Amino acid sequence: MTSTPPAAESTIPAVVGINFGNSFASIAVFTKEGLAECIANEDGERQIACAVSFFGEEMYIGNQAKNQLVKNSKNTIVGFRNLLGKKFSEIPQSQATTSAPVIQHPDIPDEPAYKVEVLQPAPSPLPTSNVNTPAASSAPTPRSEPIPTQRILSVSEVTVIFLKSLLQSAQDFLGKPIQGAVITVPSHFTDVQKDALEKAASEAGVKVYQLLEEAAAVASTTTTEAWSPNLSTDRTQLVVDVGASSLHLSLLSLRQGLAHVLASHSQENDPTVGGDAIDSKLITFFANEFTKKTKTPLSVCQPTPASTADARAEAKLRLAVEHTKRTLSASPGAATCSVESLKDGLDFTGSVNRMRFDMLARPIYTSISSSISQLLEKANVDPTQVDEIVYVGGTTCLPGLDEHICLDGGFSEGINTPFTMGTVVGGGIGDPATVLARGCALQAALIESLLSSSSDQEKELLKAFNRTTELSEAKVTSKTLGLLFPDGEERLEGDNLGGTFVPVILKETTLPARRSITFDVQLSDESKRFAFELWEVSEGIRVEKVKPPKVELSDAEEDEEEEEEEEIETKHKTISKETLLGAAEGEAKLGIQAKGGSASANKAGLGKWTSTMEATVVVTEKGAVEVVVKEVGKDGVEIKLSVSAP
Amino acid sequence: MATIQTRAIPKSYSLPQASGAKIASPSTSRLLPTGPAFVSHLRLTKHHGHSFDAHDDFVEKERQRWEELQASAINGEDDLGVGDEPETDDLLSLDPKEWKKHDYYAVLGLSHLRYKATPEQIKIAHRKKVLKHHPDKKVTTTSTPQSTSSLLQGLNLNTNDDAFFKCIQKAHEVLTNPEKRRQYDSVDHELVEQQEDTPTAASFKSKKTDFFKAFGPVYEREARFSRKQPVPMLGDVDASKEHVEGFYDFWYNFDSWRSFEWLDKEVNEGSDNRDDKRYTEKKNKSERARRKKEDTARLRQIVDLTLSLDPRIKRIKQEEKEAREAKKAAKSAPASGTVTPKKTKEQEEEEKRKKEEEEKVAKAEAKKAKAAAANAAKKARRAARAAEEAGGVNGSA
Repeated sequence: MTSTPPAAESTIPAVVGINFGNSFASIAVFTKEGLAECIANEDGERQIACAVSFFGEEMYIGNQAKNQLVKNSKNTIVGFRNLLGKKFSEIPQSQATTSAPVIQHPDIPDEPAYKVEVLQPAPSPLPTSNVNTPAASSAPTPRSEPIPTQRILSVSEVTVIFLKSLLQSAQDFLGKPIQGAVITVPSHFTDVQKDALEKAASEAGVKVYQLLEEAAAVASTTTTEAWSPNLSTDRTQLVVDVGASSLHLSLLSLRQGLAHVLASHSQENDPTVGGDAIDSKLITFFANEFTKKTKTPLSVCQPTPASTADARAEAKLRLAVEHTKRTLSASPGAATCSVESLKDGLDFTGSVNRMRFDMLARPIYTSISSSISQLLEKANVDPTQVDEIVYVGGTTCLPGLDEHICLDGGFSEGINTPFTMGTVVGGGIGDPATVLARGCALQAALIESLLSSSSDQEKELLKAFNRTTELSEAKVTSKTLGLLFPDGEERLEGDNLGGTFVPVILKETTLPARRSITFDVQLSDESKRFAFELWEVSEGIRVEKVKPPKVELSDAEEDEEEEEEEEIETKHKTISKETLLGAAEGEAKLGIQAKGGSASANKAGLGKWTSTMEATVVVTEKGAVEVVVKEVGKDGVEIKLSVSAP
Repeated sequence: MATIQTRAIPKSYSLPQASGAKIASPSTSRLLPTGPAFVSHLRLTKHHGHSFDAHDDFVEKERQRWEELQASAINGEDDLGVGDEPETDDLLSLDPKEWKKHDYYAVLGLSHLRYKATPEQIKIAHRKKVLKHHPDKKVTTTSTPQSTSSLLQGLNLNTNDDAFFKCIQKAHEVLTNPEKRRQYDSVDHELVEQQEDTPTAASFKSKKTDFFKAFGPVYEREARFSRKQPVPMLGDVDASKEHVEGFYDFWYNFDSWRSFEWLDKEVNEGSDNRDDKRYTEKKNKSERARRKKEDTARLRQIVDLTLSLDPRIKRIKQEEKEAREAKKAAKSAPASGTVTPKKTKEQEEEEKRKKEEEEKVAKAEAKKAKAAAANAAKKARRAARAAEEAGGVNGSA
């Protein structure tokens, strides 16, 4: 299936992609080069903290607001995304928070809200006139002091304030009003919550083109050509999204740009996974260092803080370790953490190297990788069958996590991760922190192009992006389909298929499907005859306990993978024939004889006759198969084979 | 894709019989609604009836449309059709001191548009030329060829380095000022050249060219001077009576904005003599009036000539006559019943008489038209004189 022309337009589409997480958000727009790029807000932050803080007459949004958690925590609102669209009674009250607590809205029943103390500007003095000013003074009347008041903000109001600031940043970058936005939603969001988010966005002044699930946003980015020019378009992808306090795993099957979820797993508000958990470990480490160095007791990460000084020190450390983590991700050396006046006026500077850090974070790493194993087990997919791991979220930039997942999960050595592709650093397309926002921007541009098209047919397609649509339902194949070129040779090891098997249409390919492959067919010496069989096969994994002899098989499917060094257990991908769908033979007309027998040919005299063939396999939506094998070149032989629908 | 190589089939191989098996029944899945591939899939399933061929056609069409769009976006938006004109050596070696004699449209590369150029086009053309000929850029581009030439030449070139740039600036100054541009357009070189070969009665008769081909362009280029726009054009042979009459009516009362200040003689710069200045001014004024008069007379002549040669006048006359006859016939028809073919002689005679009468009428009408033209010309002259006097009064006041 060929894709539509690239989304790059001469005029930049005025759309924005918003990754709206519970802790951090990011925005992406199209740059002049026609690429979706994650952009920074006014503070120069690409990862914008989801926080709104009130201090006096001022309102802070984003990372500035997060800094307010130290001194002004009661007036700082964080973690509001997950409460969006929820009733007050649905929200668990047990969690102790350092930020502004969630309260019942005084006016609206069962509505969560935040109460913040702000300073309201005093009413301006009465305009002076000749009548009410007896003695004219040259100095203006000083304004009265602002009045301290309480402000009640519902969750959706906070969301509107925050989204507005995001949109403003995007608008300032593009220099024109934003037409529409695509916003990520976690898979656990209910329809009520989605409605609430859409409403908040429209109040913030933008039309929501689509609420995109995080896995879909990832697929939107990873199916572009810029993501991986070298990877096959048919692959199985594991998405590991580690948030500040959540973990989302999705196993996607990508088939030429079409993605569907094989299995997914999500953990929300879990203190054992996520970036906050790693932060806590690191903070505890540094607090112990501090106590050791200064003999000042400092206890952090307790359910109830021992004192306000401790709570404040913890908040300071929490802000400081952000930098430490970034340094650890970026460079292999040690990273420092410095806090001025951590407790009792004592400064603190400590350092941690990568090894120590990985040791500290190991429990979290292990918890993530065990979740991955469970997911794969649930989906009945062997780790070696996963072709690619995609990381999402700033925490996944940690190289230690990648190493741990790859080793512990039993993935094949050649697995593609952003680390092996070298796209993690540099803020490029593979940057885990920007993947979601980019995907949203790409999707927004796609919808924008459909909206701007004049034909009704195209407009009709927009329905597919609604939440309740049947258009995304599709039939997928359940078995891999391929061509077998028999050679009659017996093989002792591996799959004894009796020939060379070329997989054409992998399982889980959406119907109707069309694939073409090109290959060289060896012809029999006398008659230039060749034949092929169309087979349905099932893929399996064979585990061998002994190290197999080093035999190089020509079969492309036979990659040998070692799981771990200690074990001599090896895994093979195996293919077993299931159903013969048909067979055909023909005589090649454009055969070429290779000059001189190659070493592997193992035959005296002249080389072998080969001909280049192109096979196109089409499977209709009903399941009928049509195979056309054609010799590449003029006047080549053409063989057709068709199988009717089941 | 790494090329896949297969081995030859064994000699004993026989094709297995198709068992009639079908593929395992497909399962249902939910696609993630994202990416261009998803949209393609929808198009394929919803619009193209699952046919890959139809979808391929569609994709190809989309691609072509896209390319066209891109191309038009590049050409259309950028320069409003200003384009790029070759610069001849003559043009590049213009002397900025002789600025009055320059062809400003050629300098700015607008000679294909001339008086039709819009202010936006002039702005774009000027920017293009400045980017190319700014002295700051010349320093690097001209220094290399200079080094090969002799020292003296190099010096000369250096002093003359921004000559063309000065010309560009002058041209821009004139063409962006509406008053100056009007004066310049009045005496546009190209126009003056074209006006010289306006067909005369003698040349028209000797060459036997088509009337409309000969006079159409004349009116097209004179039309620019009309204060009233749009200007009725000559039209073609089949033009209606109303059109022809409207045309001559317009052109006999042509209201021209053409003026000849551009050709004024400069007041001697060095002299402070007031008398000198006044003398020159007076001379210029009378010269302007004379030229204006000449121009009006010239146009009048052209219109007179056109009227006298216009084949449509004859046709219209003929039509009028026929209409009159038809009326008459309609009147007499009910009385006489069917027309008898015997009265051919009488009819012929009658026709002859009528023809003669008509010719007389035509002559008389032509005379009338001439008289009217003369009258109009007189009026115009009087008006011009009055205007001049008014101007003179204003000037002296």
